Amino acid sequence: MSEAQLETALTGREAPGDLAIEIRELTTRGMIDLRGDAGDGKFMAAAKDVLGLDLPTAPRTSAAWGEVQALWLSPDQWLILCPRARTEELLAALRQALAQIHSFAVDVSDMRTIIRLEGHAARSVLLKGCSLDLLSPDYAAGTVRRLRFAEIAALLHIVSERPDVLDLYVFRSYADYAWEWFLANGRAVAAIQPFGQQAVPAV
Amino acid sequence: MSGKPYRLAQGGRLIDRSKKVSFTFDGQSMTGFAGDTVASAVLANGQRVFGRSFKYHRPRGVVGLGSEEMNALVGIGEGPRHEPNLRAPQVELHDGLIAQSQNRWPSLNFDIGALNSKLSRFIPGGFYYKTFMWPQAFWKHVYEPMIRRAAGLGKAPAGSDPDTYEHMHAHCDVLVIGAGIAGLAAAEAAQAAGARVIICDETPRFGGVADLSAGTIDGAPQLDWVHTRAKLLAEAGNVHVMTRTTAVGHWHHNHLMLFERVSDHDPEGLARGTPRHRLWKVRAKHVILATGALERPIAFANNDRPGIMLATAARGLVERHGVAPGMKGVVFTNNDDAYLTALSLKRAGVAVAGIIDVRQGTDSAAARDARNAGIEIIPGHAIAGVESGYGGLSLSGVKIAPWRKGQGRVVNESRLACDFIAMSGGFNPVVNLWCHNGGKLTFDSGLQSYRPGKHHDRIQAVGAANGTMDLAAALAEGYAAGEAAVKDGEPKAGRSKAESAPQRPLEPIWFSPATGKYNEGNKHFIDFQNDVTAADLELAQREGYESVEHTKRYTTFGMATDQGKTSNLNGLGVLAEATGKTIPEIGITTFRPPYTPFSFGSIAGSLTKNLFLPVRRTPIFRWHKAQNAVFEPVGQWRRAYTYPRAGEDKHQSINREILAVRNKVGLLDASTLGKIEIKGPDAAEFLDRVYTNMFSTLKVGRCRYGLMMNELGFLIDDGVTVRLGDDHFLMHTTSGGADRIAAWLEEWLQTEWTQYKVFVTPVTEQWAQFAIAGPKAREVLSKLGPDFDISAEGFAHMAMKQGKLGSHPVRIYRISFSGELSYEVATPANLGRGLWDAILSAGAEFGIEAYGTEALHVLRAEKGYIVIGDETDGTVTPGDVGLDGLVSKKKADFIGKRSLEQSFLRSAGRKQLVGLLTEDPKDVLPDGAYAVRAVKDKPPMEMIGQVTSTYYSPTLDHSIAMALIENGRSRMGETLSFPLDDKVVKAKITDPVFYDKEGSRQNV
Repeated sequence: MSEAQLETALTGREAPGDLAIEIRELTTRGMIDLRGDAGDGKFMAAAKDVLGLDLPTAPRTSAAWGEVQALWLSPDQWLILCPRARTEELLAALRQALAQIHSFAVDVSDMRTIIRLEGHAARSVLLKGCSLDLLSPDYAAGTVRRLRFAEIAALLHIVSERPDVLDLYVFRSYADYAWEWFLANGRAVAAIQPFGQQAVPAV
Repeated sequence: MSGKPYRLAQGGRLIDRSKKVSFTFDGQSMTGFAGDTVASAVLANGQRVFGRSFKYHRPRGVVGLGSEEMNALVGIGEGPRHEPNLRAPQVELHDGLIAQSQNRWPSLNFDIGALNSKLSRFIPGGFYYKTFMWPQAFWKHVYEPMIRRAAGLGKAPAGSDPDTYEHMHAHCDVLVIGAGIAGLAAAEAAQAAGARVIICDETPRFGGVADLSAGTIDGAPQLDWVHTRAKLLAEAGNVHVMTRTTAVGHWHHNHLMLFERVSDHDPEGLARGTPRHRLWKVRAKHVILATGALERPIAFANNDRPGIMLATAARGLVERHGVAPGMKGVVFTNNDDAYLTALSLKRAGVAVAGIIDVRQGTDSAAARDARNAGIEIIPGHAIAGVESGYGGLSLSGVKIAPWRKGQGRVVNESRLACDFIAMSGGFNPVVNLWCHNGGKLTFDSGLQSYRPGKHHDRIQAVGAANGTMDLAAALAEGYAAGEAAVKDGEPKAGRSKAESAPQRPLEPIWFSPATGKYNEGNKHFIDFQNDVTAADLELAQREGYESVEHTKRYTTFGMATDQGKTSNLNGLGVLAEATGKTIPEIGITTFRPPYTPFSFGSIAGSLTKNLFLPVRRTPIFRWHKAQNAVFEPVGQWRRAYTYPRAGEDKHQSINREILAVRNKVGLLDASTLGKIEIKGPDAAEFLDRVYTNMFSTLKVGRCRYGLMMNELGFLIDDGVTVRLGDDHFLMHTTSGGADRIAAWLEEWLQTEWTQYKVFVTPVTEQWAQFAIAGPKAREVLSKLGPDFDISAEGFAHMAMKQGKLGSHPVRIYRISFSGELSYEVATPANLGRGLWDAILSAGAEFGIEAYGTEALHVLRAEKGYIVIGDETDGTVTPGDVGLDGLVSKKKADFIGKRSLEQSFLRSAGRKQLVGLLTEDPKDVLPDGAYAVRAVKDKPPMEMIGQVTSTYYSPTLDHSIAMALIENGRSRMGETLSFPLDDKVVKAKITDPVFYDKEGSRQNV
């Protein structure tokens, strides 16, 4: 039997050229949902042994060590990001290290679709579908935030700034809806320049 | 002057005479200039009548300067792009624009509905209430169609809107609404202190009425100052600048909606795909209202005739568009501001027959200027009526009489020839937004109007919106508010200063009596748009509508699309005089959003068509689609219902799919099933508490069907739970229940059983999951290359395995919802499509067929398996559906246990689940059909239960159904009657398990 074929939710979908932002699906990322008590020193230490990083405990933050990242989801939940090919190995290592500690790690690599938004208009396009104050300094690189995006649940990770790189995580079944939303709202002819240099209004 | 008699030879600072613009009005070709509005361009073409009024169909023309316009409502565009009820002075002219007048038939100049005007003696205020209350049946068939034809304004567009719309969200420190002098000053001060500022104006320009009012800033014309501020704000970096944007509403915690008309004025942009409208939802830390003030009309006899307009509107036409409102006009005023209009007209070469001022004396700077310009002032007089011809289409003069406040019948009347009137009854601060979210008002006797009082939000009014009419004071107030809105904002030295001449106080005039017995043949309009007159308001008082809120609803005054912008205060003034009270004693009605109407398109935004509803797709969705599957909604999921082949209808394909499962093997996409992983040392005990049956005894690697109740003892979910490890379970929920049950489990853990060490993690979408069901299922599995034992003994019913099918990592559960030998295979979602294809090709030689949700439902119904939501409706217990055996007698406690002990859940007479076989095997009962105790000629009949699931079973070649029937289990063999629309179907009560009662087919 041949190798198992990978078909992600947005396989074959190309972004048209008339968008104000670049969008694409990230398909090579592995994701692990990690649960544990942040107040349990043993848990935090064991997680650090495996991941090489301190799990972030401040709301809406993230941490990174090499190609591994941890996104804060709730006081006892993190989304661990790694290259898809390393997921199994990392999961096994976590389970082994955490075997005697009340915790839970599960592979959720296929549960969410990641849409990467790039370009100076990334935030203003996203603002057409969410009410966060994305233009404030609160949303610096590294910020993680669950949000209501358009009419669905999503997770936003500010990867880097200037130029903006934003990852939007949506549940896999909503990937087409989210993608179509960006095609409709991301058109260059509908671009908005919030604040910054403005056209001088007529008098 | 031929053809364009009203376009002045010079002037009009906004129009570009080198750019001619062609448009049509009611099909007639007209031209105007770039910079015109529909109002100015149509007037320039000599057309004064813009539409007919709502109730009396009286001819109406332009009254206002901008968005307060209540008469000249026009429809713009054609077909699907038509938009009704737009205010002509607000609509910017562009080449090819198509404008239509409204509420007239067959034409503007001859309108049959104007008969209403003749009948107006018989259509007083409250007419609809009085007349159409009885008889009731007449409402639907006679009155309503008649009123709908006769009343109303524009028409809805025809067809689907081709344009795009969108939403936008923004946060800011300071939102300034209105870019007049005070608003610009506030924005300047706030941005200088580093605040994030949004400033919006509903017009296409900044400056408000700086071009129409007296006074200078820093010794220069106001517009110079506006120019520098507009540039400063646009280039500041921390300011978002918006024109053509109306703040339509203010809600709690400074949440506002801004309606941006992005490209109504720009057909080329629209053709490129620029959104037509954009609706902004703004959260502001501080709001500064600089919305200005609107001029009041004056209630004199027939004050609605075309050619009678507000003084600011007349001034705007001359100064901005180079359009004369007529050949010769009079100015009728109670204040100094309207004198500027007389001066404007005079300067532009339009004859002014006189300024009729209700105030005595002419000792003021304004009067001096007018006299110097050679304009006659007639103090202490008021207009008593107008002379018009051609059914009110033309105006030839005014009757004036000495004015004494509170006088009745007018004597000593004289006449002035004129063909237009510029009126001004004073100014009302625009407090609408102040009031949307509960702001209080205070009466200002100087203005004779309300201005903002207290507000619980961080919102402040400045300039004319705050009743500050003096230019210098308004400017200073704007700066101060901008500074105060920002925490570290400090008063700065060197701010601009304004100078203007002092004004004489106004004298209120709420009602100017007509000649003869007042109101005889005359109408003093208060609310022009809803055709409410002063007499209607007084009548309402006489009839006992003492509260102003009651009067408002009874007469509909202030309830038109303009929300009473020009009528509200005048109405209160009339009511005050009629009752001998003061205006504050009358009280004030509530201003509600929107400030001006905004489009449904902007409310929908981009969430239309494919984005109307989020639709969830399984990993196999594309395959289903390629097979032309019929889809059905399950929650937000779209699941394949059946896969009709060429020449098949749905019934045929469903039957084929069912028989494939019974006789060969079928494949179902069950990826939507809810999947929740539950782990922790207390996981088993936790499951014992949330399910009715026992899970702590489940062995690792085994599956068990569980029933879930709420605290009331009613079923809320069911499904198979698998023990993956000592402290680790995988719960399957119903497809629709996945999110709800995950939240339910979290709630119990977080609020009731906080001592439990359990983690609950939903993983529904991680897995693609398929059922391979049918006698050949094991053979198909074998072809797929399992790396685990799949023999009957090695992989027993209700067992689970983890391993590989060929190259696919899988979890596989031997469970059955069809009664056949069946395996549910789960693989990571992104590998799902590959595995699905592999199963189909492995199964080809066994005749495998994909089956949809309808076949699934028939298969389970043949076996008597319940579906939560079909057999249950939130009031059904395990006992009701015959599953008492799954309610543990041993467990100390579980959710719903105590409720099951309540007498009414144990009493006789409850509805119980039974099977039904119709007498005619081809008769399929409708879903929800009622069984009755006795059939009667017509309802009501006593109902004893209802059908919960009903299908044609191709396996049995017989219609089957399940039903909840009163004492059903003790009625086995009884025949029940189900009266339908056209017949009575009879069916015999049976056991709900119709097929393979022993369960031998799945145990092979």
